[in-house]
Amino acid sequence: MEAKITFKRIINLFAISAKMNLMWLLRDTKYALLAILADSISNISVVSSVYLIALRFGGIGNMSVDEVLFMMAYSTIITGIFILFGSNNNIHISRIIGRGQLEHLFIQPLPLKIQLMTCGFIPFTGGSNFIIGCILLIIAVNRLQLQVTFWWIFLLFAFIIATMVIIVARSYLVSSAAFYAPVAAEEISSLVIDGTWLLSTFPLSGMPRFIQVPLLTILPEGLMAWFPSLCLLGKPPLNLSEYYPLIYALFIALIAKYVFKKGLNYYVKKGSNRYVHYGFRS
Amino acid sequence: MLKKDPTDMSTTDFAVSMSNVTKIFTQWQRDNTLKGLLKNLIKPEKQKIIALDDVSFTIRKGEFVAYAGPNGAGKSTTMKLLGGMLLPNSGRISVLPMSPQKQRTMLMQQLGILFGNRTELWWDHPVIQSFEWKKVVWGIPDKMYRDNLAMVTELLDIGGLLKTFARELSLGQRMKADLAMMLLHSPQVILLDEPTLGLDVVAKRQMIDFLKKINKENGVTIIVTSHDMDDLEEMAERVLMISSGKIAFDGSFAELRTVAGNFTRVVITMDNEFIPELIGCKLISSKNRLLEYDVDLAKMSVSHLLGQLATVEGIRDVEIKKAPIEQVIARLYRDWSSND
Repeated sequence: MEAKITFKRIINLFAISAKMNLMWLLRDTKYALLAILADSISNISVVSSVYLIALRFGGIGNMSVDEVLFMMAYSTIITGIFILFGSNNNIHISRIIGRGQLEHLFIQPLPLKIQLMTCGFIPFTGGSNFIIGCILLIIAVNRLQLQVTFWWIFLLFAFIIATMVIIVARSYLVSSAAFYAPVAAEEISSLVIDGTWLLSTFPLSGMPRFIQVPLLTILPEGLMAWFPSLCLLGKPPLNLSEYYPLIYALFIALIAKYVFKKGLNYYVKKGSNRYVHYGFRS
Repeated sequence: MLKKDPTDMSTTDFAVSMSNVTKIFTQWQRDNTLKGLLKNLIKPEKQKIIALDDVSFTIRKGEFVAYAGPNGAGKSTTMKLLGGMLLPNSGRISVLPMSPQKQRTMLMQQLGILFGNRTELWWDHPVIQSFEWKKVVWGIPDKMYRDNLAMVTELLDIGGLLKTFARELSLGQRMKADLAMMLLHSPQVILLDEPTLGLDVVAKRQMIDFLKKINKENGVTIIVTSHDMDDLEEMAERVLMISSGKIAFDGSFAELRTVAGNFTRVVITMDNEFIPELIGCKLISSKNRLLEYDVDLAKMSVSHLLGQLATVEGIRDVEIKKAPIEQVIARLYRDWSSND
């Protein structure tokens, strides 16, 4: 039997994370603003480089310059949401597991999923990419003269959620290795997610099928921005259904849930004989 | 060695109950030789470590219990099992009376846990920010939060620390802030694992006084582990001693001294450099004509000891006192170790 968690309680948890983020910003404003600026420049550079290539060559593959801009906007929104909700290693969970810090979560009177969902929310220092992404999206939609209907907006939200689910599920899936090998797998999530992040911003249109297919299945970087963007533009690639990212998200989420739960059971049976404080609540 | 049977009481009377709990860990064994490495690839060698071996005990509400034992005896494992951080291989655990594994979130509303080598404070925020965070996460009602904050601020004298960043606190200050934070939700049971670790005499004194006060006045059940037996003796009425995963002793400190032998320290101040030999007494130190002997008064009567001393020429002063509890425990640990 578990304590009931109300919607109000979840909002309060998000609110305290936001408040602490604001307090940090107001206390160390100079450094916080520098961090925000560096983060924004870094992410804009990534998408700008792809956009500049598209500008120089009049598009990439079968995608026009404005379609590439749309994809870059989608990618920036995803990066923005990742940063917005993913501080405190709640997405890069292998760090918490590998450092033996899960025990700090066990002593809180909340289900683990609620803790992890709410503890990494940093709207004041982590919102810049999300805002830039939204601005880019509005520009791209205008340039492409897309008809924005309620259904289209619903699909946009659905694809964004699906992409985030895929990112989190991938992280939790690989992070489960840290239950068994805490030292070796402590950084596995950041290696897998951040290591392939650049690939996710590249338009795969025009690439051979043997490159596209693995990037939509085994290493789903094509689902991070390229595939959903084309679906939203009404051109789902490879004759796949536009619901493919949603099905993939559900599939990988179920696998991740199973594997992570198994790892967690192993953890509470075997315990962790490693504890390091760094990175915890810092 | 004395071992009490778990007393028969209703579930509403006890704060903590462990019944036939066994916890086994597996340790990988590695050999650095080539043969060992090859063997490890094919069939890795594992060793079973029995951290807790069919352990049973109950702790009543409002008790202050010291949980002691040598390194690797199973103290932290017990704490983690009670706190729902580990699952036992077998046996039943109940706290207040809930299952730490099945009712973790409900139990954590009434349980406070503090590990001396860890902090729950937000490193890069003032202490008061961590307290406010806890208020939200634990869903502490406003009045309870205000009252408890006022209480811990006064009793632990942390008023000056509330606006200080956690990363700038000394170890003693950090422990006090952690202890204060742990109490904000009015836990009925507190588990403290080495809370006095690294504290200086003043900070330790303050912490001990505080714990005794909340146990006595608020009826909070406290289970504390420490290597410092003097601290434990001062704090707790009951001591549970664990050795090699088994409860080796359960009783009061006075009973523990009896079980371990009635070890007494005899301190003699001499007028001259003579060092007398006393039958049944062991000389443990001799400095500036001050001689210290160990004697087990369970084996020799006080009158016999005094009789011996009366025959010695040149004694200026004699003091007979209890041996420090640390020494009693050290003997017990050595005995248990040789019995294993």
